[in-house]
Amino acid sequence: MLSVKNISKTYVDHKALDNISLNVRKSSIFGLLGPNGAGKTSLIRIINQIINQDEGEIYIEDKPITYDDVRKIGYMPEERGLYKKMKVGDFLLFMGKLKGLNRNQCIESSRSWFKNLEVSNWWNKNIEDLSKGMSQKVQFISTVLHDPDLIILDEPFSGFDPVNANLVKSNLLRLKDEGKTIIFSTHRMESVDELCDHLAMINNSKKILDGDTEKIKMKYKSDNYLVTHDKKLKKDSCFSIVKSEEISEGIFDSEVSLSNNKTYKQLFKSISDQSKVISFKEKIPSMNDIFIMKVKEGGSDE
Amino acid sequence: MNKVWIIFEREYLQRVKKKSFILSTLLTPMIFPFFIFITILLIDSDDQETRKIAVIDNTDLINDSISIGDNLLFKSNLDINYLQTSILDGEIYGALIIPKMDIYDPSSIDFYSKNVPSSDFVRDVERVFEERIRNRKINELQLDKSSLDKLRTNISMDTYSVEESVVSDSGELGISKSSSGLAFGLGYFNGFLIYMFVFIYGSFILQSVLDEKTSKVVEVIVSSVKPIQLMMGKVLGVGAVAFTQISIWIVLVFSISTLTSLYFGIDTSSTTQIINSQEEIDQSKEMVAGFYEMFASIDIYKTVIVFLIYFTGGFFLYGAFFAAIGSAVDNLQDASQFTLPISLPIIASLMFMGVILENPESNASLFLSIFPFTSPILMMARLPFGVPDWQLFLSIMLLVLFVIFSLWFAGRIYRVGILTTGSKITYKLLWKWFVMKNY
Repeated sequence: MLSVKNISKTYVDHKALDNISLNVRKSSIFGLLGPNGAGKTSLIRIINQIINQDEGEIYIEDKPITYDDVRKIGYMPEERGLYKKMKVGDFLLFMGKLKGLNRNQCIESSRSWFKNLEVSNWWNKNIEDLSKGMSQKVQFISTVLHDPDLIILDEPFSGFDPVNANLVKSNLLRLKDEGKTIIFSTHRMESVDELCDHLAMINNSKKILDGDTEKIKMKYKSDNYLVTHDKKLKKDSCFSIVKSEEISEGIFDSEVSLSNNKTYKQLFKSISDQSKVISFKEKIPSMNDIFIMKVKEGGSDE
Repeated sequence: MNKVWIIFEREYLQRVKKKSFILSTLLTPMIFPFFIFITILLIDSDDQETRKIAVIDNTDLINDSISIGDNLLFKSNLDINYLQTSILDGEIYGALIIPKMDIYDPSSIDFYSKNVPSSDFVRDVERVFEERIRNRKINELQLDKSSLDKLRTNISMDTYSVEESVVSDSGELGISKSSSGLAFGLGYFNGFLIYMFVFIYGSFILQSVLDEKTSKVVEVIVSSVKPIQLMMGKVLGVGAVAFTQISIWIVLVFSISTLTSLYFGIDTSSTTQIINSQEEIDQSKEMVAGFYEMFASIDIYKTVIVFLIYFTGGFFLYGAFFAAIGSAVDNLQDASQFTLPISLPIIASLMFMGVILENPESNASLFLSIFPFTSPILMMARLPFGVPDWQLFLSIMLLVLFVIFSLWFAGRIYRVGILTTGSKITYKLLWKWFVMKNY
């Protein structure tokens, strides 16, 4: 759907993006991760042609991106806002018209999105009377009003409470099922695990990680296992104990690290010899762990 | 172009629908007639009371008493010291002392009062006594009053401008009656109007751009519109609001002044001006008639068209800069250091206006009315005095060139500025933005 090839961008005094390449598949959710100031927003702005890259190309469906393509993108920037003195309806009409909709299409689409986001009809409300969460919803509606095939959201969940964040998440998943492609950037990892099929991580203007969410997790697992058992464990040649804790009488939760050249079968046998095993599972790192690990790694590079 | 229109439409409608716009548009033209109305009412109410003035007359200029306007002057034999206490007590308004004098070499007369009398009062009293002395001289010298009146002459010079363009069939040059007073007034009015609108609406543009930037709405917009389109739509939208306002004002001022002059026209004739000889009345009537004649001689269409050109040109020239400033800064306080240099030529234009109106043909006037940063105001000031076509053409061409340049210049700063927050803006940084290739 969208490919970014060897993009570089330098501002007056610093390099924001250094040779970044990405591939986003159709009908998928793509997460663009990185700490603050890593270059996510610059990359997104370049994709939207708000600023121009110094080097590199952007392709949509294998063709260089055109201004018409950009207009079709539904883009919600991180720095977002509404005209305070307008009515919700006038604002949505204005945004819709800029995206090429006519009046009736705007009204129809707004109405169905009001329903999707579980809000009453706000058409005649003044924007300055809306709460922060409400205006975020209006912002989101204005982004997807024209039924875009490609949706780019910069930090979409900031400003939403958990309930509304989940509402937006479920809408994003529904849009994906309808065949839309969604790219979003975030520095908060909780949302990544549940949403992203694919992700890339940017730190200090360079791409440091790229791939399927699940594969990345597998790659970064550390051969640690979480075991629940009923007797205290003793370290042996098969494993070492990372931590162990008696969570209630006669029940222990432990994290054990598999020794080199041993398999998980040997580990299981060794533990079950010592104690009755209630549960046994491999510890898969969360994106948050990987993120922190990679950012720290990157930091020590310099 | 369609998007410029959408931006324009929003900007225009939002502003025109505002209560503050409607109120200021409707009320501002009322302010001047309102003040005139209030002043006339106040003057009328002043006139109720007759002020008593004691006169110690040692030259026998008045018989018993005379009234000048609302003042009753009566002869008194009392001592000046006594009169002064009466003034302090409020029994009389003032005391006039006419010393014994030779009427062929009069000395000054003295007036005492608690407050400083108005200059009108002083002038009126002086005129009354001058008239009295004159009449006595006529008597003493045994002159014939009617032949004296014949000696009185009044000459007014009418000015005509010769126009090359209007040559009649008989080969005569076209001539139209001109008035330097009218030209002065019209020039000042037009220049000032442009000055006012460039300033007020220029700062509206700045404010509007700044609002979009601080409310963060701008990035949402520029994802569907090119920054230059956004800027153009905005400048055009605010310009159209200015245009709407000025049109309404012109219509309102015209109709209100017609109405009020009809109403007060009757009223002023009843207010008796004490010393207003028949001649003076005739003279003022003639003046009014002449004024209308001359007004008709002014090429209204040319004035309006040229006004619109300079109004639009001046607005775009400065509006673009105001837009660029609004895009660069983060708040109004920071804006002031950049608005000052931009405002200087506008303020200077207003100061030079006097020079131009006094001397519309000088080299300074020529230069200032062609230089694009001053021409919108100063060419309009010069126009009623007659401007050669080539100068007008050159001035407009230069203005158009500079408008294109300023829009281009402002656009380059704008595209970077609207997305940049939090950096300290200096002229050096603005220059870097301007020359930046890929943004």
